[in-house]
Amino acid sequence: MKIRFQGVGKEFRVRGAERPFTALHDVDLDVRAGEFLTLVGPSGCGKSTLLDLLAGLAAPTTGRILLDGVPVEGPGLDRGIVFQQYALFPWRTALSNVEFGLEAKAVPRKERAERARSYLDLVGLSGFEDRYPHELSGGMRQRVAIARSLAFDPDVLLMDEPFAALDAQTRESLQEELLRIWQKTGKTVLFITHGIDEAVYLGQRVAVMTSRPGRIKRILDVEFDSREGDLRADPRFGEYRHEVWTLLRDEVAAARAEEAVSVG
Amino acid sequence: MASVSAGASAARTPSAASQGASHPSAPVPDVLREAVAEASRQGDAGPGTALRLLRGSARAAVAVGRRTVAVAALAALWEVLPRLEAVDPTFLPPLSEVVVAWWDLLLSGQLLDHTQASLVRSLAGFALAIVVAIPLGLLIGWYKPLADLLNPLLELFRNTAALALLPVFVLILGLGETSKISIILYACAWPILLNTIAGVKGVDPLLIKSARSMGLRPLRLFQKVILPAAVPTVFTGVRLAGAYSILVLVAAEMVGAKAGLGYLINYAQFNFRVPDMYAGIITISVLGLAFNQLLVRLERRFSTWRTS
Repeated sequence: MKIRFQGVGKEFRVRGAERPFTALHDVDLDVRAGEFLTLVGPSGCGKSTLLDLLAGLAAPTTGRILLDGVPVEGPGLDRGIVFQQYALFPWRTALSNVEFGLEAKAVPRKERAERARSYLDLVGLSGFEDRYPHELSGGMRQRVAIARSLAFDPDVLLMDEPFAALDAQTRESLQEELLRIWQKTGKTVLFITHGIDEAVYLGQRVAVMTSRPGRIKRILDVEFDSREGDLRADPRFGEYRHEVWTLLRDEVAAARAEEAVSVG
Repeated sequence: MASVSAGASAARTPSAASQGASHPSAPVPDVLREAVAEASRQGDAGPGTALRLLRGSARAAVAVGRRTVAVAALAALWEVLPRLEAVDPTFLPPLSEVVVAWWDLLLSGQLLDHTQASLVRSLAGFALAIVVAIPLGLLIGWYKPLADLLNPLLELFRNTAALALLPVFVLILGLGETSKISIILYACAWPILLNTIAGVKGVDPLLIKSARSMGLRPLRLFQKVILPAAVPTVFTGVRLAGAYSILVLVAAEMVGAKAGLGYLINYAQFNFRVPDMYAGIITISVLGLAFNQLLVRLERRFSTWRTS
């Protein structure tokens, strides 16, 4: 197993509230090496918290997270994160953004530029090396962010709703692209989304989370005879989609009820 | 492959074509569009170029006209009203007389001496303020305990007008250059300090998170993320300080100075050389304007990456 979540829980202390806020409760999840696993759940179910914990940006309250059998104790370049809002450094060009992680890794200057160039090429952005983020479209920015996370060669790619801010067409083309990159690089990908279609389209397995406090409700194996052509028109795509939808429906209702209570 | 996909995306609906930029294999249409835009910008796009140039320069002339019309109107009023004795020309001589007085001051070398004395004070105070306030602001913005400790003090002093403290400065530091440069330093330090603090505190938390996720330690994080992200805000403070350095100058030079534009204005008023007084005022406002323009340009240079 590449990644193991073992009884992971996370509580936050909330100002003014007596009881702590439980974001995650007893999460167990295994991700195989080289696997593309999508994690789907209702909004506010703690998906992003789960990713923060794996990234080492926060520590779990209970349980532990193992990466290659070693407990995660902080951030590191063995994991690359892609955020929904790109998180590119606006004062750096595309190339220099991709070099950022390489600087952190202390890769020699000349090799940095070479590697950054090749990763920009991988995401289809050769010719845009000298553009600043504000000169790029949303889709291109996210490509730069993906290149940046791949460039320092992490084993695991963590993606937190990376395509949620993009329009439908750009999103679809980036999904396709991501699968190509995944196949080419053999990274382990943990992809968080709230889109059912996206989860089914991308994932070899889809993990469905419950509403807050988040737990893993079910893990679905997704298999197609062939990925050629319009996968979304495949009847099996519809079946998977419906299955995830059914699993999520109750959770979304529960999340709504919870929200109504806390607001009212 | 690339050209095929470019053609394909162009053949789709316009909205699809505009999405082409982020299509996996089609950065090409974007490049093409860029090239076309570049070509037309350079004005070598064939027929109609002369007309476009003409129209362009006409538009530029209108723009310049619109920006100068108010100033020209003011100058005209300043010339006409005293001549018609609508205002007392003893207190407000016509602009032409002021210009003559200004010219005489320039020829006699007095204007240059005064301007130089003023500039030295302004720039010294301004430069010292930068040297003191930027590091201090970075420290306060980054190190929260220090911010908590100093905040009440900062609030108190930022709300105290610099000029209200001028007598204190004179009392402690005497009538010489030290007190003058100090008061300018003091007035300039605030906008730089407050903007630097705001710049450091206002860095997008997501950028910090992203850098932290790549294993950056606090010191490197500061150097590689916080500092560059704060530069534009810091520079806004520097630009404001530039304006203050000229604004405070006049007041500082009204007490115990023997040279300087503030001294010139004050001295001319005492001796009832009214045109000289106005000549001094105009010089100082032009100086302030020029300094500000210079800083605006520098600011733009330092923050080209800012999303427009």
